[in-house]
Amino acid sequence: MAQHPLSANLRYGKNLAVIRTIDLTKRFGKLVAVDGLNLEIEEEEIFGLLGPNGAGKTTALLMLTTVLKPSDGSATVGEYDIKSDPDKVRRLIGISFQEPKLLWISTPWDVLNWHAKVCGLSSSDRRTKVKWVLEELNIWADRHKRVHALSGGTKKRVEVAKILIQRPKIAIIDEPTAQIDVVGKHKIWNMIRALRDEGSTIILATNELYEADELSDRVAIMHKGRLLVCDSTKNLKDSIPGGDIMEISLDKEITEKALEEIKAIEEVVHITTLNPDHLRVNLNQAERVMPKIMNLLFKRGLSISSVNMSEPSLDDVFVHYTGLTIEEAERKA
Amino acid sequence: MAKVWLVAERDFRTFIRFKFVWILRAIWFIAQIALFGLVSTRMFIVPNYFDFYVGGVIITLLYSTTMFIGYDIFEEAEHGVTDYLLSLPVSRRELVLGRSVGGGLRSFVYVGPLMVGVLLLIGITNPLNFLIAFTSLFLFAFGVSGLSILLAVGIKSHDKYDIFLGVFDALIVRFSTALYPMAYMPQAYSTIARINPLTFAADIFRWGAGVESYLTSPWIPIVGLFLFFFTFVFAGVTFYERRLEGGGWE
Repeated sequence: MAQHPLSANLRYGKNLAVIRTIDLTKRFGKLVAVDGLNLEIEEEEIFGLLGPNGAGKTTALLMLTTVLKPSDGSATVGEYDIKSDPDKVRRLIGISFQEPKLLWISTPWDVLNWHAKVCGLSSSDRRTKVKWVLEELNIWADRHKRVHALSGGTKKRVEVAKILIQRPKIAIIDEPTAQIDVVGKHKIWNMIRALRDEGSTIILATNELYEADELSDRVAIMHKGRLLVCDSTKNLKDSIPGGDIMEISLDKEITEKALEEIKAIEEVVHITTLNPDHLRVNLNQAERVMPKIMNLLFKRGLSISSVNMSEPSLDDVFVHYTGLTIEEAERKA
Repeated sequence: MAKVWLVAERDFRTFIRFKFVWILRAIWFIAQIALFGLVSTRMFIVPNYFDFYVGGVIITLLYSTTMFIGYDIFEEAEHGVTDYLLSLPVSRRELVLGRSVGGGLRSFVYVGPLMVGVLLLIGITNPLNFLIAFTSLFLFAFGVSGLSILLAVGIKSHDKYDIFLGVFDALIVRFSTALYPMAYMPQAYSTIARINPLTFAADIFRWGAGVESYLTSPWIPIVGLFLFFFTFVFAGVTFYERRLEGGGWE
């Protein structure tokens, strides 16, 4: 296999970058759906691509799967360029679409069986895997029903089932649990984790920030076609000034001196005195600072009756970087 | 090549599921022969017009059944299945070849039994000629399938395709020898009919079945069908490779 000219620069984290986009752009007439996207996705990670509907996530993913052709820029998947080697790219990558892509007249069994065949599974392997995934996703009973007779959730399960049968080197899963009940969600999350543990790289596009938080090793936030930020979930949460919240209840009223000393800690951003014996501290890197604060209070003879810690969610991260909640961003999009 | 067959197999299975389409088309075919064919034979001065007509109608049926793949493509685009097909580990070339083969083959399998019925009705005088004609009709079916895919992908609008096809069907059938011999056409019409693939297919079928085909040489339609096949399958592949991408369907 010929080495790609970019491959020398691909290793940047603990693993090799299997996807790299350089100024990847897609225009539909005057609309710039994806605007100069620069991304690197590591091997065997779950990479969350976040953003409201209309942010450009799906368009970016369709370019990576060679379904759409970029207007500008380039991308490599594995060692292959999506423009010059699309056939080779598609051998590495598989996608479970946001909207189930099923012909109304087909049945889940036919869809999955043919998908397995076209992805190169042997006859025996195909039967085993199709049966397994139909049972795991609770669609075995509906396997011979026509698609138009299936519920939205079942159609979505069939769409997700495709990627779970294919088990590609790079799996793109767009909104994996939309319309799926809580039990089904957890099952699919576990199956996605198992796919990663087997060595696949997962790109998870979602506007469900909780889902991204649960599954992703790193996340990127897209808004209006542009990449705003990309990092591990921990670093992103830590990047919000005062994002961590520590609520402390004391046995007696806090002294002015102790309050001043806590305020003087570098990572402490803000203190709210809810009651004279109850404080809310907004701070950075809470796990590192919490022992300092507790020591300080002990030294001042203040006993702690309870401590509650909360870290920012990805919703908070989204608000921090866009100035909008995801719902507001969707309305504006 | 295995992927080409897999794509063709999918189109074949999809077609089988559209029972109402093939039942209605069979009814149309029987009505054309039993009603129009029998009545028009009494009116027309063409000798053995019934045999001539039946040979033409079966080719028209083969053509219209094969063109159905274009509707499949719109059906798929409407449900987003086009994006799915484009994301699969199948090259664009394999995909369009598979669809051309699938579209042609499935209509052949469907029209086959009706064709046997036609042959029983009019009889075969020379089996070797018929074998040559039959093989040529494969080229015709694959070419029509390629043409249909090309039109669907080029037009990218279900409504426009539907209207376009209504006009296109009317013209391609009427400017051909499917329904009447070239000898009875005005000069301007016969000039167009001479290069019409439907003329080639109808003429070669009649020649193979031993019906009066008004042909001076069977090689004219055979070469014509080969060129038609080559143009619309291989030019279709090139067009498909360069133009087709997901989204943008009306």
